Amino acid sequence: MLFSIMRNEWRTLLAERSLPAIGLLLALTIGYGIYNGQAWVSFMRESLAATQAEYAERTQKLQSDFLAYEAGSKKPVGFSDPRGASAVGGTSAVPYVALTPGPLAALSVGQSDLYPYYFKLSLRSKYLTLSNDEIENPVNLLSGRFDLAFVIVYLYPLLILALTYNLLSSEHEQGTLAMTLANPVTLKTLMAAKVLTRGLALTVLSLAILVVAIFGLTLTGNGVAWRLALWAVVMLVYGAFWFVLAVGINALGRNSSANALLLAGCWLCFALLVPALLNLASTAMYPVPSRVEMIQAMRNAGKEAQQRGSQTLARYFEDHPELAPAGGGRPDFASLSTAAQQEVDRQIQPILYRYEQQVSAQQILVDRFCYLSPAVLTQQALNDLAGTGIGAYRHFNQQADRFLKTWQDYFFPLIFARKLFVSAELASLPRYVEVPEPGSDIVRRVLLSLAGILVPTLVLTVWAIRRLNRYRLAA
Amino acid sequence: MISTIALKEITEMRRDDRFRWAGAVVLALLLVSLGIGWSSYRELERQHATAQQETRKNWLTQGQKSPHSAAHYGVYAFKPKMPLSLVDRGVDPYTGVAVWLEAHKQNDFRYRPAQDANSLARFGELTASTVLQTLVPLLIILFSFAAFTGERENGTLRQLLSLGVAPSALAAGKALGVAGALGLLLVPAAAVGSAAISLASGDLDSGRSILLGLFYLLYFAAFVGVSLAISAWVKSSRVALIALLGFWIFNCLIAPRAASDLSKRVYPTPSSFAFAKAMQVDLNNGLDPHAASQERAKELQARVLKQYKVDRIEDLPVSYAGLSLMAGEEHGDEVYDRHYARLWDQFERQVHLQDLIGLVSPLMSVRSLSMGLAGTDFQQHRHFATAAEQYRRYFIQEVNTDMVKNAIGKDYGYLRGNDLWGTVKEFRYTAPDLGWVLQQHRAALLLLCLWCLCGVALAYLATRRLRVE
Amino acid sequence: MLEAVELSKSYGAHQALHRLNLRIDPGEVYCLLGANGAGKTTTINLFLNFVEPTSGTATVNGLDVTKQALESKRHLAYIPETVMLYKNLTGLENLEYFAALSGLPAYSQAELLGFLQEAGLQAEAAHRRIGGYSKGMRQKVGISIALAKKAKALLLDEPTSGLDPKASNEFSELLKRLSDRGVAILMATHDLFRAKESGTRVGMMKHGRLMESLSTSDIGHADLEQLYLRHMHD
Repeated sequence: MLFSIMRNEWRTLLAERSLPAIGLLLALTIGYGIYNGQAWVSFMRESLAATQAEYAERTQKLQSDFLAYEAGSKKPVGFSDPRGASAVGGTSAVPYVALTPGPLAALSVGQSDLYPYYFKLSLRSKYLTLSNDEIENPVNLLSGRFDLAFVIVYLYPLLILALTYNLLSSEHEQGTLAMTLANPVTLKTLMAAKVLTRGLALTVLSLAILVVAIFGLTLTGNGVAWRLALWAVVMLVYGAFWFVLAVGINALGRNSSANALLLAGCWLCFALLVPALLNLASTAMYPVPSRVEMIQAMRNAGKEAQQRGSQTLARYFEDHPELAPAGGGRPDFASLSTAAQQEVDRQIQPILYRYEQQVSAQQILVDRFCYLSPAVLTQQALNDLAGTGIGAYRHFNQQADRFLKTWQDYFFPLIFARKLFVSAELASLPRYVEVPEPGSDIVRRVLLSLAGILVPTLVLTVWAIRRLNRYRLAA
Repeated sequence: MISTIALKEITEMRRDDRFRWAGAVVLALLLVSLGIGWSSYRELERQHATAQQETRKNWLTQGQKSPHSAAHYGVYAFKPKMPLSLVDRGVDPYTGVAVWLEAHKQNDFRYRPAQDANSLARFGELTASTVLQTLVPLLIILFSFAAFTGERENGTLRQLLSLGVAPSALAAGKALGVAGALGLLLVPAAAVGSAAISLASGDLDSGRSILLGLFYLLYFAAFVGVSLAISAWVKSSRVALIALLGFWIFNCLIAPRAASDLSKRVYPTPSSFAFAKAMQVDLNNGLDPHAASQERAKELQARVLKQYKVDRIEDLPVSYAGLSLMAGEEHGDEVYDRHYARLWDQFERQVHLQDLIGLVSPLMSVRSLSMGLAGTDFQQHRHFATAAEQYRRYFIQEVNTDMVKNAIGKDYGYLRGNDLWGTVKEFRYTAPDLGWVLQQHRAALLLLCLWCLCGVALAYLATRRLRVE
Repeated sequence: MLEAVELSKSYGAHQALHRLNLRIDPGEVYCLLGANGAGKTTTINLFLNFVEPTSGTATVNGLDVTKQALESKRHLAYIPETVMLYKNLTGLENLEYFAALSGLPAYSQAELLGFLQEAGLQAEAAHRRIGGYSKGMRQKVGISIALAKKAKALLLDEPTSGLDPKASNEFSELLKRLSDRGVAILMATHDLFRAKESGTRVGMMKHGRLMESLSTSDIGHADLEQLYLRHMHD
């Protein structure tokens, strides 16, 4: 029975030419989305490769310079000794700390066009090092990117709704519903067949297009398989949500235009209004002050620390007695400026913390209420799988901070001890090893998002079935 | 006749719960977004004013130091906000809030507010401009998709036309009806908006405000025209609704994103790493201000000695360090001009290409004009950045000139006090005038007018061959 | 075959059908007459279980239509005023679909074409899309569905209104053949002439009540009209 109805549905769909049209639209948008994502990831990879090349070249030159100093064929020149710990740790040997794009990064641009994905370290807090923002036209940042995640979060539901908004109402309007239900068929079977036909057709179509499109990419890295599998699951569950919603709205028994309006309204709410209002609420409750205040605080702190000069250094040694040089004597420029910089970093720490605090308070609110919108949950899950979400950047920043601490802890004592490096020691400087965010963390977040979509889907299913049970052909 | 039809339309809409609710929601969102825009504008304006004062104070009270140290200390420039930015924040969240003006270097703007945002920010912010650009068109579609198809389905169209009502009069009446219903929402919103702007700034920039309102009206008129045309053209309300929603999705959702990726493709920009590196290469080929040991230094030395007709640097009647600093700045300025101009021209080409996409999506045109009038478009960001850079060159020039004249023999050992810092004028930015802004957005303006005309023409043509069945 | 016992339906205060008692045996053609809103369509909708009765029962082949909703529909066929079909599918495809829904084993294409032919549809029309069908042709597809379904009872809701006299006559012939095979037929109609011609019994309804029920062989044309007008008067 189910099969007969599904066959008939399939025939009607083909006859209406709606499936080929939707297939074409999907293929075009998915193709364009993946192409854009891939272009962006290649761009990031090229930049990272360029930084690595620059680092290799720089350290090689450093090594050969040191060998030349030691052989006596070249004299160390400059404002401060290039062999000093402050020159080595502050500029000449500093590494890059990078977030390598994950295996699926091409599928969702996420926040990766906004947040820095590599830092060139110095001995200072990374907020104070020079600009590491990627160059981007602000108008493009405002518009956002046309990537696969955009197609899935915004356009995919619209295609589903285009296929389903008149699932029942069209049969009612054509009069075929009465003809059909004069047979031993329940409305539930009929609807199940209709949804299954469209769902299967759309799923097979979109997965096929995805597979073909992804074949064009070379996805390498850890966990491609499970990430892709979860990606497909997220897509399926998100699609199921919209299908069930459409069934429920159809079961209200209104005409096709009313259904289309209601469903468009739901889409507008979930995809645009809820995120915008939630964002508005979170920024109103926890406003992040403009960074101009921080700039001012930083300058004032810097001015004060510099004016006090040796006083600052003395206080610094009081706080860090282990760093004070044993011999005493007049402090050199490197010690003075390091202490002054540390003092500035220390003073603006609470201000930086205030920014972070407000943003994370916003994020907590968002994390709590994001369950109001399956679109938000899907976007977050896709970003997580692509490694371009807030979580990935938080992990990266923690890693960068931790490495900076290691780097500072290594160099500060040497600066105050006025250490001069020799060539052999250059190879044993602390090294940054990128630890990707643990897969279990990503899976946990994705599953949480999935549950957040699945639960309303189930609730909607129950509601839709109830409405179908109550559906009456003639009032 | 037309007004009778319009009045009947408005009465019908007012009695329909769907329209009442949708209208109320849009009005509420518009008012909320205006309120939020107003308070954040005031807060930002206050912060910027304070910061601008403090950076000036820091400069004036930096005490005894070498003029070159002072140049290194530098000042910050903060882009002022225009009152209309409370309607449209434009690209402001995505450009840095401030730029550090210091010796030797043209810096980038830093601290993009969007980087201090939660993960939802990229879903789009609720500002008055988003409501006007995306939600009001949706409301127009809701008000007018069934304008003709509905009458046809009810059988009232047959009746109307049998009475001898001209289809064009019917269309005009319907358009007027939709306009009236929209007016019920937009007039109070516009009043609140103007009040907010004059409250925020103490001065309603009426020229810009009126133009902004006018551009949005053109945009809405285009939508009303297209909606009525489709409603007259197709056979059922259902088809009309689907077609119009499809147009809306393309206009508001697909076009802006597709345009941004397309323009990036056509006019690629370098990575910040490559940009900085290329600039560094050019800078290194010139004169390094701190280590005057390269060829250009020799050249400068020869030239200066010849100019002052002396044999040794020690005999010069000016400070050689100051001269070499000035030469370094000159060379740097050339390099920066070349590189930044290249980058910003590329951005501007991207923006212009996106303006052309306005041919298929009126949103692109109205967005461009709206940002322009609010002073939050890319072009005015560039205008400010250029002004800030000019100021940087001015004040570096001032302190270097003092050094050239007075630091003879002392060079970097020459110290000055607050009196010199006081002679450097404060940075005052004048935003470009309305003509400049409109000139920048002329393509968008043209296309928006074209859309409006097309909408009206389409509605006229479609109703002329209105089918009764 | 079709039986209503004290069947009532009310919408709030409005009594759409009041205590209908009716029995239609195999081979009988029962014509329900009455003005618009008299309760004819409600009766048919109740037999189809499209609306739930307020009280009383409707049975098809002894099966209660509310309790054995699906089972009872195996024996029913329904032909509304205009037979509504999928306009993008051909007549044959529509028949195939509805036949499959009836739960009988699948027919071959030849068998299906046979049903269409039996219902009087030309062979070439069977392969055209419904979109271009006339009302009479749709009606024939409706009959062929009933034939394919081997329905024991047929519910017709004003099937001949809007048909030209020839098509209407052909339709009556089809009904006669079905009733000869032992199909019980309930037909709501305004057409007194058709009711007298093809009906075995007629019933007159008014304000949801069955006022009178009589055999067509007992009454002439003119008398039937007189009787109808008398009932509809007052």
